[in-house]
Amino acid sequence: MSNDRCPVFWPRAIIHVDMNAFFASIEQRDFPQLRGRPIAVTNGHRGSCIITSSYEARAFGIKTGMRLPEAKKLCPDIIQRPARPEIYAAVSTRIMLSLQDISPDIEVFSVDEAFLDVTHCQRLHGTPVRMANMLKKKIFAVSGIHSSAGVAGDKTTAKFAAKLQKPNGLTVIPPWEARQRLANEPVTALCGIADGIGNFLAQYDAYRCGDVGQLPIGILARRFGNLGRRIWLMCQGEDPDNVHTDVPPPKSMGHGKVVPPNTRNNEVLLTYFRHMSEKLASRLRRHKMQAQHFYIGLKIQDGWLSMKLNLAHPDNDASAIFKLCRYLMSNRWQHQGVFQIQVTALDPQPSDQQLELFTPQREEQQLRNAIMDDINQRFGELTLAPARLLNKSDMPNVIAPAWKPNGHRQTISLTQEKETLKKPR
Amino acid sequence: MNFKIQREALLKPLQTICGVVERRQTLPILSHVLLVSDGEQLNLTATDLEVEIIASTKTESATAGEITVPARKFLDICRTLPDDCHIDFKIDGERAILKAGKSRFTLSTLPAADFPNIDVAEEGKSFKITQNALKSLVDHTQFAMAQQDVRYYLNGLMLELADKKLRSVATDGHRLAMCEMTAEVDSIDAKQIILPRKGISELARLLDDENNDVEIEIGNNHIRLKFDSLIFTSKLIDGKFPDYQRVLPQNSDKNLVLNREIFRQALTRASILSNEKYRGIRLLMDSNTMRIVANNPEQEEAEEQIEIEYAYDALEIGFNVTYLLDALNAITTENINIALSDSNSSCLITAVGEMAADCRYVVMPMRL
Repeated sequence: MSNDRCPVFWPRAIIHVDMNAFFASIEQRDFPQLRGRPIAVTNGHRGSCIITSSYEARAFGIKTGMRLPEAKKLCPDIIQRPARPEIYAAVSTRIMLSLQDISPDIEVFSVDEAFLDVTHCQRLHGTPVRMANMLKKKIFAVSGIHSSAGVAGDKTTAKFAAKLQKPNGLTVIPPWEARQRLANEPVTALCGIADGIGNFLAQYDAYRCGDVGQLPIGILARRFGNLGRRIWLMCQGEDPDNVHTDVPPPKSMGHGKVVPPNTRNNEVLLTYFRHMSEKLASRLRRHKMQAQHFYIGLKIQDGWLSMKLNLAHPDNDASAIFKLCRYLMSNRWQHQGVFQIQVTALDPQPSDQQLELFTPQREEQQLRNAIMDDINQRFGELTLAPARLLNKSDMPNVIAPAWKPNGHRQTISLTQEKETLKKPR
Repeated sequence: MNFKIQREALLKPLQTICGVVERRQTLPILSHVLLVSDGEQLNLTATDLEVEIIASTKTESATAGEITVPARKFLDICRTLPDDCHIDFKIDGERAILKAGKSRFTLSTLPAADFPNIDVAEEGKSFKITQNALKSLVDHTQFAMAQQDVRYYLNGLMLELADKKLRSVATDGHRLAMCEMTAEVDSIDAKQIILPRKGISELARLLDDENNDVEIEIGNNHIRLKFDSLIFTSKLIDGKFPDYQRVLPQNSDKNLVLNREIFRQALTRASILSNEKYRGIRLLMDSNTMRIVANNPEQEEAEEQIEIEYAYDALEIGFNVTYLLDALNAITTENINIALSDSNSSCLITAVGEMAADCRYVVMPMRL
């Protein structure tokens, strides 16, 4: 704890916190019989893909993304738990809100991760290390979940540090040690550097972060532009990226779903498309947005069969979007077996900003949608929906890793929250 | 076929027609120009199957014949040859040979018989208007045409002939520009035609501020204009233009007169801090002042103040600043008039003075 007493003010102090096995930990918290047992969280009882697993399961070599039958070979006693996305969203929101008590400069990086810029809180709260301990205690107090924290002078090093000790760890890499600590680490150990960039760097014999610093920055800048310059700095523990406190406006917004393998029934596929159109339209409306250009896609054996289609005017009405899906079905699909569908708005924009000269303002339709949204807000998603959806798939919603408590990433609505959280101990 | 010609006599008509040639196309011959000589006059033709331009020029000596050569390369060669040189063009088998001074070029050719004509179903009826009047109709309205809108009839300029007037109207559904000129159009029944965007942008390039007549022939599916030594033909968009009369504001109860240049400069400055994508600005009018306010997502703000004569209820209204600036740039008078009613209704911008009735600009507001 020598760092704790270090009287030096850090010129920049970033903390990355990462909830340990988040979904699995919540299951173990709420169901004591699961504690200390290997569990795997899947999408409903029927989902076979493991979304996350407990540390006890990970000890058997079970990984996120593994199929359940494969996991059972490694660990026959594994316990399957259906995901409860609404609960996870509620716990995440509660945690993220509570972290703001320590620093308002917070970037919610995903459902179970956040960056905090605590540079300006050092006089108030003490050293960055002390604040990291405060954050971990806070998270445990409001949620009963353990977390790992990384403390450093930049985001990339902080995220790297948080990974080093799990679960319930705390790793400090002061800014003046960052370059040296990263020097011998493989470049792909840093967040944001995957095989593509890694292979490019390997052409120049740069495998470790220290090697990248030896390259002229221009090599990376020519190939990757500003991202390249950032990577060069990241590898030296000087990631310049700020903690982004606001959610940037969406570049696209979409919903997709896996359908029963090799589906060839037109009506079944249309029902899935209607379902995704309803979800997308109501999400656009929830965020007061609309779109004019859409990507509609079907995944078949050989890849995606898709079209980019335009509406006459930007819209957020499900029927208008569904018409585009019908168009794809009747013009591109030739009864191939389908595995997955996707409906994405490509140019989400604030709705009804620019008034139209000729369009009859679609007041009746907007009123109908508003009433439907009110009802569904109160009684749950798709309580009121087109009759076709009586036959929709009963597969539950999936929480996206990019889920955030604010802004358009809030794909799981918080209105149905029935959190069973116990009083913080 | 062969001909001798002075460089400038060839270069100018070539530059005039080559704008029509698309840089990429599926039919190789569309990248060519058609050269037709009657022994004296040389006609050059370029087309994209929607718009066709024929320019004619005088040769120094020639034998009759016809051929096509690659447009871009032919133009680039003529352009880069020295001033006032003489060009000697002749056909040798399937090649065309071009000589000038110590330069020599061999170009590929395609048969003239394969060069597509715009099919004009029938002769139309014609009337005349001065070139500068037609230029004014195009220049005052073309900026408001839609681009690649699914409402294909908006991707062009509507010309309307009625009541001894020729009127041009363009709209993208958010704003509308119209301009009218008196013309002897009695020989033709009242009608509306829509010229495609590409035709209009080419035509705008060709028209000069001259006082000579343009002969306009209108058929069921084409328009043909003859002026200077050019014949311009364009197909028409087959569609019904929306009822523009209905969207001209009738009941505006607030009128204000502004100095065009002062207003334009204030808007230009404020627009720097408007949202780069949506370009919204707010106009706030109250007892003899107008404030122009712009914000962007970075929370930066611009505010401009202009003194105006305004004796109505306070009004706050948002607009896409680009639409306002487009209209102000098209008007040339010192002052402009803006007619408004409320923050959800369109505004009408007109010139103050002689031109007042000629051009009208309607802009729908934004909700900000």
